[in-house]
Amino acid sequence: MDIETILLIQQIMNGLVNGMTYVLIATGLTLVFGVLHIINFAHGEFYMLGAFFTFFASKLLGLDYVTAGILATVAVASLGIVANRFFFWPLRREHEFTLLLSSLGLALLLTNGGELIFGADPKYISSPFADGIVAMGPMILTQQRILIFGVGALMLLLLYFFIQKTTMGKMMRATAQDAEGAALTGVDIRRVYTVTFVLACGLAALAGALVGPTAMIYPTVGSWAVLKGFIVVVLGGLGSIVGALIGGLTLGVVEALVGGYISLGFAQAVGFAIIIVVLLWRPNGLFGVARRAG
Amino acid sequence: MRLRSGIAAASMALIAAGTSLAVAQEDNVRVAAIAPLSGPGAFDGQLAIEGMEAMVEIVNEGGGVLDGRMIELVIYDDKGNPEEGVSAAKRAIENDDVDLLVGGWFSSVALTMKEVTRDRMLNIMTSTQHPNTTKEGHDLLFRLNATSTMMSDTYSDFICDRMDIDSIAFITINDDYGRLEAENYEKLLGECGIDFLGNEFYNKDDADFMTVLTKLRAMNPDAIYVSAINTAQGATIYRQIRQVGYQGTTIASAGNMNPKLVELSGPALEGVYSVSLFAPDSDDPELKAWVEQYNEMFDNEPSFIGSLGAQAVEILAQAIDKSGAVRDYDKIAETIRANEWNTLLGDITFDEIGQAQQNIYLIQINDGKIETVN
Repeated sequence: MDIETILLIQQIMNGLVNGMTYVLIATGLTLVFGVLHIINFAHGEFYMLGAFFTFFASKLLGLDYVTAGILATVAVASLGIVANRFFFWPLRREHEFTLLLSSLGLALLLTNGGELIFGADPKYISSPFADGIVAMGPMILTQQRILIFGVGALMLLLLYFFIQKTTMGKMMRATAQDAEGAALTGVDIRRVYTVTFVLACGLAALAGALVGPTAMIYPTVGSWAVLKGFIVVVLGGLGSIVGALIGGLTLGVVEALVGGYISLGFAQAVGFAIIIVVLLWRPNGLFGVARRAG
Repeated sequence: MRLRSGIAAASMALIAAGTSLAVAQEDNVRVAAIAPLSGPGAFDGQLAIEGMEAMVEIVNEGGGVLDGRMIELVIYDDKGNPEEGVSAAKRAIENDDVDLLVGGWFSSVALTMKEVTRDRMLNIMTSTQHPNTTKEGHDLLFRLNATSTMMSDTYSDFICDRMDIDSIAFITINDDYGRLEAENYEKLLGECGIDFLGNEFYNKDDADFMTVLTKLRAMNPDAIYVSAINTAQGATIYRQIRQVGYQGTTIASAGNMNPKLVELSGPALEGVYSVSLFAPDSDDPELKAWVEQYNEMFDNEPSFIGSLGAQAVEILAQAIDKSGAVRDYDKIAETIRANEWNTLLGDITFDEIGQAQQNIYLIQINDGKIETVN
């Protein structure tokens, strides 16, 4: 292989790993929208919390990286119950904008609370896989990045089966179609809300725990996460998990290619350019279904 | 009813506190401290403010300025953004009526903020390295840090003479400072025969650098020069340089080294060189007193950026005492220009455009410590 081809494949690999992070973030976002019709601006903060909880679990409790990451994911998933109970469930009959504002308030609360409690100094989650390099011929990935991709793929697969095969998954799909109709047939809407938020927050936290060791973490990192999440969700279609998967991987690869062949400065802009094009061409996203107004 | 009376009591207390604060403020010398306190530069802003606060404490404990007036910091967040910097400076001057102003940690912020303070407010600029901060400054503006041109003159001599490299590639931040750095070094290193293979820009809110570092690695340079002005991004870049499998020399940009960066970057910074105005192992008594005060007040380790904040406070306090003025900015500015100042970073003077003439030290990271190289 000549050097140009190697570089191209390497950049695509970099992009797929970053893309898998976006997928994990966007899946939670799209799930909450698809099932509960809530646009959750605070979603990125759960990503931030996942990273910080992992950091503190390994620092204060002396846990190894993997245990700390699992613990943080479970803890943030449980926080999803609390967030739903206080910020979303009580407002379910209000106008969509009220919910939007509520989620925005929650986001501000978590970011500023994070700065107060965790401190503004950047932190580093040490992982035994962070600097371990795996060479695949001339291509290189760190063990951590392989872990991100592997765990991400596994989680999506599990989520897919959960939604398709379990009773809870069916209730979620029923609620997504028509919440009132589902309630009339005996679906426990309250539990659907709780489970959806647990899944969404858990996925975001897992992304934070996985990505943490590849970059420094700081309390405002959640705004980055939610932005990437929204780009992917718009690209893939609000409410579509397959859309989030394809949208996330696409965004990752496109960013890597633009960053690698044009400039990193341009790579950010490309996400927004994609949004504009998609909204003009397919307003419901590439995999979205048109939703009746009202 | 109880709730209502509680609220009433609380608001009375607040009003009382407000008045006592207002009384206290009347004879304090109020210095606006504008720094990035949120976003990726937040930690650096925190270090800066902490450095200032430690020096304010030293000055106030020593009896303050003039006839016992205390120095008081009024703190603003510029978020590392030029627009926010302008708005903070306007608020400080127009709404809060501060006496003096310290800001300009990042060049992009300093370059716009100087237009707000132009000819109306005594303004000390701190860590900004862009030459135009002073070149296009004004009579009331002074800058402490060496310019990137002054730094690169010293640093490039060292890179040419002592580092055994034939080619170099750059990763620099996409702002006024970064663009100038790339330009300076391409010229200076080219003069001594080091091949400039390329430069990649990143943005101040980027969190992943794998793609551009992969690209730089493929150029196969003997060294990669990293220009990173904030700690969070700097540490990520240094670590990721190793994660893309690059094994050559890493060179850290001038004036951006701090203990936290060394701690966060781990083995990736070991043996790496930089230049700084701050020699952490210096035995200057002023510096020692400040380091002691800092350690007493804060958990972070004293850093270069904090020492610049301290120097700003030190020079303002001395200049107020010497000129006998707080609001007569022309008189203070004249005094600052005319004298030599004994500070924690050594004795310094200012030239006619307000640029400080400071010592520049070569430093290296050894066993996780920043050391001066002779």
